[in-house]
Amino acid sequence: MLSILPQLLVNSIITGSIYALVSAGLALTYGLLRILNFAHGHIMMVGAYTFLFFFTQLNLGLLASVLYSTFTMALLGVITLGIFILPFMRASALLPFITTIALGTMLESLISMIFGVNVRSFPSPSASESIEWHGIYITPLQIFIVLSAITILGSLAFMVHQTSIGRKLRAIAENRSAAESLGISAKALIYGACVLATLLGAYAGVLVGYETNIQPTMGSSYSIKAFAAMVLGGLGNIWGTIAGAFILGLIENLSIGLDFWGYSLPAGYKDAFAFIVILGVLLLRPQGLFGTQSRVA
Amino acid sequence: MTAVLEILTSDYGVHLAILVSLYLIVAQSLNLTFGLGQLFNLAHVASYAVGAYATALLATDYAASFGVCVVSSVLLSALFALLLGLISLRLSTDYFAIGTLAFSSVISALLVNWKSVTHGVLGVPGIPRPELFGIDFYENSNFLALITTIAIVSQAILYCLYRSPFGRSLRALAEFERAASSLGKDTPRTRNIAFCVSSGFAGLAGSFFSYYLNYIDPSSFGLGEMVFILTIVIVGGPGSFWGVIGATVFLVLLPEPLRFLDISSAYVGPMRQLINAIILFAVVWWKRDKLFPQRRTV
Repeated sequence: MLSILPQLLVNSIITGSIYALVSAGLALTYGLLRILNFAHGHIMMVGAYTFLFFFTQLNLGLLASVLYSTFTMALLGVITLGIFILPFMRASALLPFITTIALGTMLESLISMIFGVNVRSFPSPSASESIEWHGIYITPLQIFIVLSAITILGSLAFMVHQTSIGRKLRAIAENRSAAESLGISAKALIYGACVLATLLGAYAGVLVGYETNIQPTMGSSYSIKAFAAMVLGGLGNIWGTIAGAFILGLIENLSIGLDFWGYSLPAGYKDAFAFIVILGVLLLRPQGLFGTQSRVA
Repeated sequence: MTAVLEILTSDYGVHLAILVSLYLIVAQSLNLTFGLGQLFNLAHVASYAVGAYATALLATDYAASFGVCVVSSVLLSALFALLLGLISLRLSTDYFAIGTLAFSSVISALLVNWKSVTHGVLGVPGIPRPELFGIDFYENSNFLALITTIAIVSQAILYCLYRSPFGRSLRALAEFERAASSLGKDTPRTRNIAFCVSSGFAGLAGSFFSYYLNYIDPSSFGLGEMVFILTIVIVGGPGSFWGVIGATVFLVLLPEPLRFLDISSAYVGPMRQLINAIILFAVVWWKRDKLFPQRRTV
């Protein structure tokens, strides 16, 4: 049983990297706006299909595909914020949640109509052949996933904590009207952050496409997993959320990989664990694993 | 005109009327928690699933009688709602929404994976229609009479609840919890009862859903279904009894013309989903300032 532990840990880091990319964007928008964007997982799915469309259907080449996809997804990010979130902020915190559920459903049905409901996969790159290292199997693609996630999330950390943009973002998250009265143009920064969140999600979607496969219905399960990571880390806490994403990856892989008293769980239960984790944390520690501030729930 | 009459009296018309009756029960019961109580309950479809599976499994694997199946569906769903109450006592608004969503997803995962009990993705086939007092409900028109009666009785009970002191407390707790509780309204008790009643009715609808279709599988109880029920309540107006009845008839019948258009059947499902999502968004946009009265806090 213990011999597969190192492999499970490596797998957890790979899964966790993808979850971290998805949920960091969600945490960024939650921190700034205090709304739950349910369409975030669907946006990730659209990102994967957009790249698939430019890269394999139109055969545009890697650089052009990346550029066009980035542009399309940035536009989707602006639409999401400008049409589906901001107009509803004033009335009730629940409305943007409902409108993003509507957005997610629209995206899912549109993609199903355009690309079909079947599972699609990206042409497997040469990097998908396993390398063995002390009994652990890993592909160059997986190494790339982990390294790129670390680089991107590290840059995000640098941006939020070491630059003036990050300082302004933190000021808005803390007290928007005070920040605005000091001359910070909150709206432009919120749009920027939302586009960034969309692009992080889309990138994660493309990675999922290369690592496994994609389907129009994958969106909501990734949204819920990103919520799980966020709940683990404390809503709106980016670093907590990223740690939560890796913990979630670890829990999922250990739950189905290890056997308990000779009994192992079928792989289908992997998803259920994310949801049970959310429930457990919500009931026992609603402020998140790393939260200190007690929250009146 | 004659064409419309022909449709209404045909098998197809009977089928649509049965669907409307089922959704009336599901949507009006969600209206109790989501509309009146303003509790963003995304696990209503899980209550519906519990009721449907209770009947399906009891009627096939244990050959239980009609009465036993219906009563156990209602009771199991109502009991299931106590768990929701447990979540709602500790969490509010967005946290509660995430919690119920997670809860509903656990049920979905169980329906798919707990194969020894739920039969997994293959679903439960061969659920026999009931036979009561010598009336054979295999005939769809007889079944329609039964389900219409049940739907009307459920609406009447829910209507009385809306108007009762209980309904008023639920509404008061939603609008101004602290003031209502200072007047002696017991928040946990009121909300728990609301969840149990709402979930029990969803279980009732689920039970008849199983009987009607003779076959159920986990795909009928996914998030898409939840979004559809939510759309009905929002279009009808949360907390509005007659509005939800109108919205149910409208939204169940709306996508039906799609069947007669010359489009591939693969498009019908997504297109129906798309239309519902657009309507949901349009209604929320249009009524954004009055959909939920601002919660007041001290």
